[in-house]
Amino acid sequence: MDRLGEIHQLLIPLSGYTITINLEVLVMTGIVFLLALTFGFVASRQKKILPGKLQLIGELIVLTFFGLTEEALGRTHARTYAPLICALFIFLLISNWLGILPHLEEPTRDLNTPLSLGILGFVVAHYVGIRNKGFKVYIKSYFEPVFFLMPLNVIGELAKIVSISFRLFGNIMGGAIIILVVSYLTYSILLPPFLNIFFGLFVGTIQAFVFTMLTVVYISVQLK
Amino acid sequence: MTLLGLDNLTLTQTAAYVGGAAAMGLGAIGAATGEGFTASRASEAIARNEEHAGDIIKNMLVGQAISESASIFSLVIAILLLFMDMPDPGIVKAASLLAAGLCMGFGAIGSGVGAGLPAGRSCLAIARQPAVSGRITTNMLIGTAVCQTPAIFAMVVALILLFKPAGGAAAFPTSAALIGAGLSTGLAAIGSGYGGGMAAGASCEGVARQPETTTAVTTTMLVGQAVAQTPSVFGLLVSFVLMFRSFPESTALSASVGLLSAGLCMGLGGIGPGIGNGMTAEGAVRWVARRVDYSGDLMRIMLVGQAVSQSTAIYAMVVSLVLIFVV
Repeated sequence: MDRLGEIHQLLIPLSGYTITINLEVLVMTGIVFLLALTFGFVASRQKKILPGKLQLIGELIVLTFFGLTEEALGRTHARTYAPLICALFIFLLISNWLGILPHLEEPTRDLNTPLSLGILGFVVAHYVGIRNKGFKVYIKSYFEPVFFLMPLNVIGELAKIVSISFRLFGNIMGGAIIILVVSYLTYSILLPPFLNIFFGLFVGTIQAFVFTMLTVVYISVQLK
Repeated sequence: MTLLGLDNLTLTQTAAYVGGAAAMGLGAIGAATGEGFTASRASEAIARNEEHAGDIIKNMLVGQAISESASIFSLVIAILLLFMDMPDPGIVKAASLLAAGLCMGFGAIGSGVGAGLPAGRSCLAIARQPAVSGRITTNMLIGTAVCQTPAIFAMVVALILLFKPAGGAAAFPTSAALIGAGLSTGLAAIGSGYGGGMAAGASCEGVARQPETTTAVTTTMLVGQAVAQTPSVFGLLVSFVLMFRSFPESTALSASVGLLSAGLCMGLGGIGPGIGNGMTAEGAVRWVARRVDYSGDLMRIMLVGQAVSQSTAIYAMVVSLVLIFVV
């Protein structure tokens, strides 16, 4: 039970401030990068017309997300942004699945990861909005329908970052805490593997998909 | 400092028992209602298509099992509250145990009822289109699992409240803040759980009506449910602020009531937007299944409509944060 909320941190004092680095999250994120790169390398090493198993999985992910992005953004924008969307999904999927291996933790369990990915999506969406509509029209959209609603429109946009990142964080951390508590209550007999399948594989996949789709949708809302 | 003339241990135990009773008592409402709805729709489905009674009953039982999970979360919290040992009894610990019970109890209502809706409507869908019963059941499983998210948030807050060391925090206003934290996530989960269920129910019907639109229907459902859950995400945020911010000691009644009201404001303010966003998502999913060629436009309209109805939850969050940080 003591493991609840335990974090390994590296504290670097720097002229009055302290820089805090969460070591575990860094290492786990590195492992996710390695796994994703290995998958990409192995899956595309011998490209064939009749794909092998790994190539098939890779093609499935890329085609699915390219299709979904194209539906939402149109063909020209999809060519630019679909690679980002596919990479986001693969990163989140491997991150959320990582917790089912013993001694490894999901990087998404730490709020920093979902929050920075949420900010990434936000910045991309607003960049697309400014570039596509022009700066004037973009700023004007905040003063609609009435000019004094501007503060609430800004808060509404910022609330998107909160909602997208806390949703992922809450689900993954919630699953991890529930598995920990149930394992403690049942002395790790019988139940934990099923909970791992449910929260790790099933909820992890759904939340990775939801996060990715919401990023696509936020971009498409700025586009129109 | 004592409250009601009770010593610290008695007070903490009393709070734990009341909290346990609230967790399981309130937590039973939602799941039972949802399961009843599922069974009633299963009866209708079997009456319409008796040949596939086996598939329908199997689907009903799987759906009911998932609706039940919200009340199983409540059971876990209630058992922990009844049998946990109290390391540092006191007013703060008592408040946090009571808050854990209330949070889980309220938080299980919406998800229980909500998960019952797709389970029931998927039974009808199988009666209508038995050939794709596998696809309908899969879709129902995804929908009901996502419905559980608000209940999972409530359970996370309840567990943190249970195991958070009271430390040397001042009894007031910290204890009021902890009860506010419990109410914020617990109440806000009601609307989001139910709203997510409405969207998932429409998607089961949609898959049966037009099996070839499954991908578009499931995607719209997931995005709609995710937005419908935003009020409960805001509730979670307010709870975290209330739980982890340290408040200066103050015995003034206004300081305590202000923090309690902050939680209450976000909790109650999250119910309406959750249900409203669910209705919007239900409409969008239903019409995506009928006119899949318009799915892009339908999803955009859904998001714009949800954003407007979401703004009330944002007002509630702004008022809560003002109550916490300014007042």
